[in-house]
Amino acid sequence: MTLRKTLTAALLLSAISTTAWAQDYFISDAKLVTNTSQGVVENADLIIRNGKIAQIGTDLSAPANAETISANGRWVTPGLFAPYSRLGLMDIGGEDVTNDSSSGDSETSVSERASDSFNPKAVFVANTRRMGITHAVISPSAAGDSIFGGTGAVINLSGEYDSVEKPRALIFVQLGESGTHRAGGSRAAALGQLRAALDDAGAYPGRYKSPTDGDALSRQDASALVKAAKGQMPLLIAADRAMDMLNIIKLKNEYGDLDIIILGAKEAWQIADELAAADIKVMVDPHDNLPVSFEAVNARLDNVVLLDQAGLEYAISNASGLGVQRPATLAQHAGNAVGNGLEWDKAFAAITSTPAKWFGLAGGTILQGSGATLVVWDGDPLDVTSAPTDMFINGDRQSLESRQTALRDRYNPTTDDTRPFKYR
Amino acid sequence: MIKTLRMTLLGATSLALLAACGDKTETKSEDAKDKSPAFASTYQPQPSETTLITNARIIDGTGQEIDGGSVLITDGKITAIGTDVSGDAAITIDAGGKYVTPGIIDIHSHLGNYPTPSVSAHSDGNEVTSPITSEVYAEHGVWPQDPGFDEALQGGVTTLHILPGSANLFGGRGVTLRNIPARTVQEMKFPDAPYTLKMACGENPKRVYGSKGGPGSRMGNVAGYRKNWIKAQDYKNKRDKGGDGFKRDLQLETLADVLDGKILIQMHCYRADEMVQILDLAKEFDYKVTTFHHAVEAYKIGDYLKENDTCAAMWADWYGFKMESYDGILENVPFVHAAGACAMIHSDDEKGIQRLNQEVAKTWAHGNRAGLNISKAEAWQWLSTNPAKALGILEETGTLEVGKRADVVIWSADPFTTYARPEKVFLDGALMFDSDTGLKPKSDFRLGFGE
Repeated sequence: MTLRKTLTAALLLSAISTTAWAQDYFISDAKLVTNTSQGVVENADLIIRNGKIAQIGTDLSAPANAETISANGRWVTPGLFAPYSRLGLMDIGGEDVTNDSSSGDSETSVSERASDSFNPKAVFVANTRRMGITHAVISPSAAGDSIFGGTGAVINLSGEYDSVEKPRALIFVQLGESGTHRAGGSRAAALGQLRAALDDAGAYPGRYKSPTDGDALSRQDASALVKAAKGQMPLLIAADRAMDMLNIIKLKNEYGDLDIIILGAKEAWQIADELAAADIKVMVDPHDNLPVSFEAVNARLDNVVLLDQAGLEYAISNASGLGVQRPATLAQHAGNAVGNGLEWDKAFAAITSTPAKWFGLAGGTILQGSGATLVVWDGDPLDVTSAPTDMFINGDRQSLESRQTALRDRYNPTTDDTRPFKYR
Repeated sequence: MIKTLRMTLLGATSLALLAACGDKTETKSEDAKDKSPAFASTYQPQPSETTLITNARIIDGTGQEIDGGSVLITDGKITAIGTDVSGDAAITIDAGGKYVTPGIIDIHSHLGNYPTPSVSAHSDGNEVTSPITSEVYAEHGVWPQDPGFDEALQGGVTTLHILPGSANLFGGRGVTLRNIPARTVQEMKFPDAPYTLKMACGENPKRVYGSKGGPGSRMGNVAGYRKNWIKAQDYKNKRDKGGDGFKRDLQLETLADVLDGKILIQMHCYRADEMVQILDLAKEFDYKVTTFHHAVEAYKIGDYLKENDTCAAMWADWYGFKMESYDGILENVPFVHAAGACAMIHSDDEKGIQRLNQEVAKTWAHGNRAGLNISKAEAWQWLSTNPAKALGILEETGTLEVGKRADVVIWSADPFTTYARPEKVFLDGALMFDSDTGLKPKSDFRLGFGE
């Protein structure tokens, strides 16, 4: 693996690599969740060759030189994809010097890229990986007087230096109470700022004789918004109130082809048909059921179930502060959607293939020929008592050790080690 | 009634004073002429029927699991439990093999004092005007219309403890509540449950007061505790002597009540080394730390906790949001348990409180994966038994045993999974939530917003 990494790094800047030097693997007797219309395959054998799923069958033999993993009936699924996070953007949230998730004092906004702040060695990356997450969206959050957080990326959780898979994957916009506060104090000001910014991007570069000629954005930021303004990159907009989301629908109608994903969407069930008709997607947290603010007075536990019934496209996230910092418990949130009435397959797609598709990544499914990004679990992945036993990202076998397991092993009460703790 | 336990917790020194907060009958006969205590509980159980739950897989909270068991509830109490239970019951519920457990107890909640909606006007949990506010009572900041209470009930929580926040060295008195939908906090107060005192270690007090006169360091924190315990000792001596010269001081009264063993210490503390410093502090002033809350590094000092008979209330997987929480591991609760110390889960969160069973399931599974061999019945004690012990109410609730309050949950499935939900929740034998009929409380705040 070390050799392979060196070679890969030398040859490729992209992390999505399939090379001739990869170790082959044989996974036997899996309960395989394909996450496609082919459903679950019992007693499945998989051959991983050159980083891809070379073959899936029920009575395959291990290829020569392949390393074998005996699943013994355990679950094998695509890796989980966290649709929204600040993973790798901070070491300790409460310590400003270690926290790159926002920049209240900077002159820029849209053009700030999360990928520039991302540290794959932050301990939360490995701590989250060991819970089955292989990919995540990372996004800066809005700060200062801008409703724009910046440009989000898609990363994988290998912890390697080359793990940014898509450095420019989305533009993050904060509406609702928080965005309102940033824009100066009213929803009108926040939506006004968003419209002005889209106009700046639409008129870029013609409008800019000097860097500050825009109505809302500097030349640099307008340039970064151009693709999203043309609908070629998702605008991820945080909003919860039904009325705010109806205004987003209006905005989409005004500006044509915007690709809009609404983050939060606590009251979306009230306007599910309107959102579906407008082809707007939502990212919801199935734990959000309290009227935490006056923009979420109608939050309810089965929001996602109702959205599903309305035919909306949705992803599931863990929207809590810690869930955003490190989405290790993503599967629990999807599992609770199932507990509240959503079908298992749909909940699982909402933390795998659905967000992968939105952000332009192949993956989230296991089919012959697809990239080998998968997890072997010791139980149902959506159940809180389960955990991964093996993991592959883009064909590379991953370590499931982390700083947490090092601490665990040092202080494990079952250990026979009698040396002083610091010598263990 | 709760005397025995409280004495176990507090040591024999408090014997004389316990009479004042013993059971109702006792209080009446001894203190008939005294005024009732200020802000006394007016809790009344809801009317209940004699109920027999049969064919249940019972986790009783004592570490036992009874397959094919029955529970008989009479006058709001558990009157029989086991595999051979009979009795005339107005209502018989065939549990169909489903799990039946004690109601969950959350020892660390801010429902009511940090209610939703989380507007600034609702921020009533921290008296951030001085690091020493042992004179304040959490109950005076509790809004009974917090919609979170209703959701917690649907998560199986029948008793919860509301604490002041952790900004101050001495934050104020905590209050134990029945999770009964009510108009006033007095109607929710757990009758005769002891008060607690919230104290805080580490980063929070020094951060909040570092530029407001201190403490500005961990040194200042400990000096602040010691100075005030010295004052409390002096006050206690004067109070014990009595006489006309004695003047009541609310701030010192709480601390003196701790020294008298009437009030239980619930202390916010993350770091292992700091918790052991606090255990030494308690020895210096001869009081007991009942529970360390959050206790992210408790797994490093299970032996100290066991030796001092001090509990740890923990999360399953919260860590890393500040320096003192950086070393969190997923096996904290089971590791503390395995060390022979008193371990429990807590939420500190209006969402987490709705699924504490899942939090226990997570950490239980991680512990067993790390080599432990803890049964579900044993792990259940982290949800109700040990919190009841640490709140001084184990004689009344926390387990399904004859004579206790019938705080009972019937689950749709194994509560050690993501998919299980409470189907029926009984509080003192009264059915307060029923997913079959849609019976559930609704806060005033939830009314009239339309749908």
